[in-house]
Formats: sequence, structure tokens, C-alpha cells
Amino acid sequence: MIEIRLHGRGGQGAVTASRILATAAYEEGQYSQAIPMYGTERRGAPLTAFVRIDNQRVRERMLVHEPDISIVLDPLIAKQQGVVESLKAGGIVLLNTAMAPEEVKLGGDFKVATVDATTIALEVLGRPITNTAILGAFVKVTGALKLESIEKAIKKYFPGRLGDMNIAAVRRSYEEVKGPIQAVVKSGVQEKMDLNVGGYGVLKDVSSWRVFTPEVDVDKCISCKACWIFCPETAIQWDEAKKKPYIEYNKCKGCGVCANECPVKAIEMVRVEV
Amino acid sequence: MSERITRAQIPMEEMGITPGSACQGCGAALAARLAFKALGPNVIRHGVPCCPDTVTKTPQIGTVFEGGGALLTGTSRGLKAIGREDVLAVGFFGDGGTYDIGFQGLSAAAERNENILVITKDNEAYMNTGNQRSGATPKYATTSTNPVGPKSRGKEQPKKNIPFIFAAHYVPYVATASVAFPEDLIAKVNYAKTITGFRIIIIQSPCPVGWRFEPEKTIEIARAGVQAGIWPLFEIQNGHDFKLNYKPKELKPVTEYLKPQARFRHMTEAEIAEVQEDTTSKWQSLIQSDEMGKVLI
Repeated sequence: MIEIRLHGRGGQGAVTASRILATAAYEEGQYSQAIPMYGTERRGAPLTAFVRIDNQRVRERMLVHEPDISIVLDPLIAKQQGVVESLKAGGIVLLNTAMAPEEVKLGGDFKVATVDATTIALEVLGRPITNTAILGAFVKVTGALKLESIEKAIKKYFPGRLGDMNIAAVRRSYEEVKGPIQAVVKSGVQEKMDLNVGGYGVLKDVSSWRVFTPEVDVDKCISCKACWIFCPETAIQWDEAKKKPYIEYNKCKGCGVCANECPVKAIEMVRVEV
Repeated sequence: MSERITRAQIPMEEMGITPGSACQGCGAALAARLAFKALGPNVIRHGVPCCPDTVTKTPQIGTVFEGGGALLTGTSRGLKAIGREDVLAVGFFGDGGTYDIGFQGLSAAAERNENILVITKDNEAYMNTGNQRSGATPKYATTSTNPVGPKSRGKEQPKKNIPFIFAAHYVPYVATASVAFPEDLIAKVNYAKTITGFRIIIIQSPCPVGWRFEPEKTIEIARAGVQAGIWPLFEIQNGHDFKLNYKPKELKPVTEYLKPQARFRHMTEAEIAEVQEDTTSKWQSLIQSDEMGKVLI
């Protein structure tokens, strides 16, 4: 039996990815399960989903506690969730990051593979939804499923043009994945930084939710306060002395309302590589 | 009626504890931030099950959906008994807690004219549990319980006209507001603070996840809704005095509000025309009411 754990954020489609994997396994005549973890999952908040694939009937009904493969859909999720926690010895962790597997700081007895799924998703789909963009890499790295059956399953979930775009993303990640190699770091399994409370941590830092980061051009600013009044998270603070806004980045979830509402376009959303 | 304020008059002090756990671009989080900014520290916040919006520094108490009206009543009478009538009992509910499940308790509290302020963040479905239809969902919107399919065109029934339902209780103050018009919203909360009796303010708060649009468009869509006449901003006092707060010379077409939202993507030309006609005729009667200064029933 292959047990898989997916780490992602609400809106990245980790649950859909788990269903696609299970459906693809079913298409190959195997038995499979897709289990989402229910809680207060919202767009941007960390979440997990699980998949079991076997050539005989799967009797287990609990969550996957010791996965063979860990798929990480978000580059920064490792700061909030233990992505390699209780991973089986000799298992594989597949990370969405621009880094090469050699640079990854995770350590232990497992293999590491990386693919820059966010860039693939942005270029192919136009949105940072990384679920299908990582599945091609999964096929290449693990060999557990065939590319055709993944494509067949995607067609089921996304009919029409959307399906074709997602299949293009899958093929590209199949080509671009790096690894797997044995983890370079031997100890220090944890990169996890803070306790996970309701998805934003006791440090009250939501920086890792962002794909795009707002940057203020103070010279263009006309001090209309639109960005300040429309920020749902009070990330944009108002400097009463200078009559200009400044951003508290630990509060910014990267929604882009400020950039959209600025009448002189003094705020720009830029992608900061992580 | 509320008095217009400028952006410079909006209080600088924040009542919210941020960052909260709301989604990116959450309209309800902004509604909570603006409303509690205007209310200040002398309030007790009451909640019923709803999305996690902005957590506030105020004391907070929660109950079941049905109990919202009763809990507010209890707090308000308790505050009177101990001589703390300077503290306001505020209910910050979602549309499920106001339009549907919480309605009977609130209706009873309105009929008794309890000294409470209810603020509704109306995101037009049960968004916390995954976009199930509510009484606030507009016609033709696709939800997880009314999905569009070969036989279904989304929700079949129109949105409940809750401001007028509460106005028909002859309560001191009923108002609608939008997150895209923060000055108007804060002016209404400021005014509601000065009067006694049952007051309700309903704030339309777009939900990027449920309405299916990109999070940066939250304010844009809320503004388009007001400018198209789909979510008119008005106040009603004692069930008859009427004032329209936003009166453009010409309404924008409803397509500006409907098109960016994927929950309306399936709508045909005929269905859009139907919504347009319905909106225009309702707007006409609101304009008439505004000219006469009273509700026409």
C-alpha cells in the first residue's frame, strides 16, 4: 500500500489533488481512498489531505499518520506544518519550490524532489493554483501511477479547456522536476517555526499566505487613504505625520485590494521569490 | 438620519486584533473592522455561528444560531439592571443568523423593541460551511446546494428583502451599508449609537471564495453592486421615514456587478435582462419613497 499526505493551503486545491490521485489509481484498476482533513480550512490557511492506493481493498478508514510520500503544494508551508513529520524511512518528499533538492534544508532518512509548481501554474493557468502542476512531478518521481491515468482523471474533474490547461501544467512539471536525491542534511528534521493555531500561528504572522506582495511607491501617493481604509487586515498603516501609508508585512495576506483600489496605482503587487 | 462624514473623520484607532483568520480579501473582515472602529470600546460583542472575520478587543460572547436575539436581549436588560446603559449590546451576525435561522429570535426582539444594535455582514450564503444557499442568496446564483446543471439555473427564488421586513416591525432604525462606502457605513453606525431601541444595519460583504472572483476585486464588486442599484444604500426610521443615501444620476448596468462573479457566469442574456428590469423597477420605487421621505407600502 502507498500512503500519501498532501500539505497545502486553502485555494491551492490539495483536496482536489488528492481526489485526482485516487481517481487515477482507480482508472488503473487499483483500490484507492482520498481523505480531506476537516477543520477550519479557509483560503490561505494550511491544510492536509490524504490518499491511500493499494492493489487490494483498503480497509483502513483513519487519517494517514505515517506516509510513504509527502507532497507539499506551498513553498512556505514547511514553516507551519511538519511536512516530513513521521515520514516512513526511505520515503519521498516532493516540494513546490524554486530551490534544487540539494539546497533544501529538510533532513532525515528520505529522498527529496523539487519542482517550481507556482511558476508553472502562473504561466500555464494564470493563477497560483498548484495542485495539478505538482502531479506530473509526482508521477515522474514516484512512478506509482501513469501519466495517462492522471490526465484521464483530470479530464473528469475539469472538463473542456480548463482540463487541457491543467494537463499542460502536469506535463510541464513532469519535465521540470528535479530529483529525487537522498536528503543532504542528516539531522534537524524540523524546519517548522511556530505552533499552528488556527492557521496563522502564535507569532501572528501571515506573510507565508502571500504569493504577491504589495509595494508602495510613496512618491506617487496622493494621500487619499483608500488603501488604509479598505485593508481588511489593517496591514496598511497610516503615518499621520508624513500623510503616507506603510505596510506591516506580517499582517498582509496578499489579497491585492489596496493595489486595486489605489486611484493613482501607487501600489504594485510583485511576486517575491521564496 | 445619519450625518455624512469625510474620510478624514474616520477614527484612526483600530478595535480589531489582526491578522485574523479570515480568507484573503474577505469583505466581512473589513465590515467588522469598520463597524467596530466606529463603535469604539464601550460595546459587548455577540456572535452566532459565522465565518471568522476580524476578532475585536471588545468582550465577546457567542451562542447558537437561534439564540442571537435572546442573548442580546438578556445582555441589554442586564446592563440596564446594573446601571451600565453606556455599554451597548451589539450583535455581529452573518446572513444565516439574520435572514434565516436567527430570524425568529431577532424578529421577537425587534417587536419588543429591545435596546440592541444588530449588524449583519451579508455575504449571501452559508460561506463558512462551504457556500450553501441562504435566504440572502440572490436569484440565479450558483451555490453548493443549488449548483447549475442541465435542469438547474442556480437559486430559483429572489433574495429576501430583510431591511423592509425589519422596517415592517416599526423599529427605530434600519439601514443598509456596503464595505465599498466606508464613510456611509461609519456614519450609520455613529448615528445608530445615538438612539435607543432596536437598530439593525445590514452590510453587504463580498466573499471572494463563494462569489468566485479574485480577492483583489472585493471592493470593486461591492461598489458595482451599489452603483447598479442591486444593493441600494438607505435608512428607514420608525418604519416610515425613508432616505436614500446614494443616488447616482444614472444607474450602471447590472452586468458590471454580475459579470466579474463566476457564480453568475451561466446566466443568459434573457436572465440578465430580467435582473436588470427587476432592479430598475425596485430602484424607481426607492426613488419615489426618497422624494416623499416615507416608505411606500
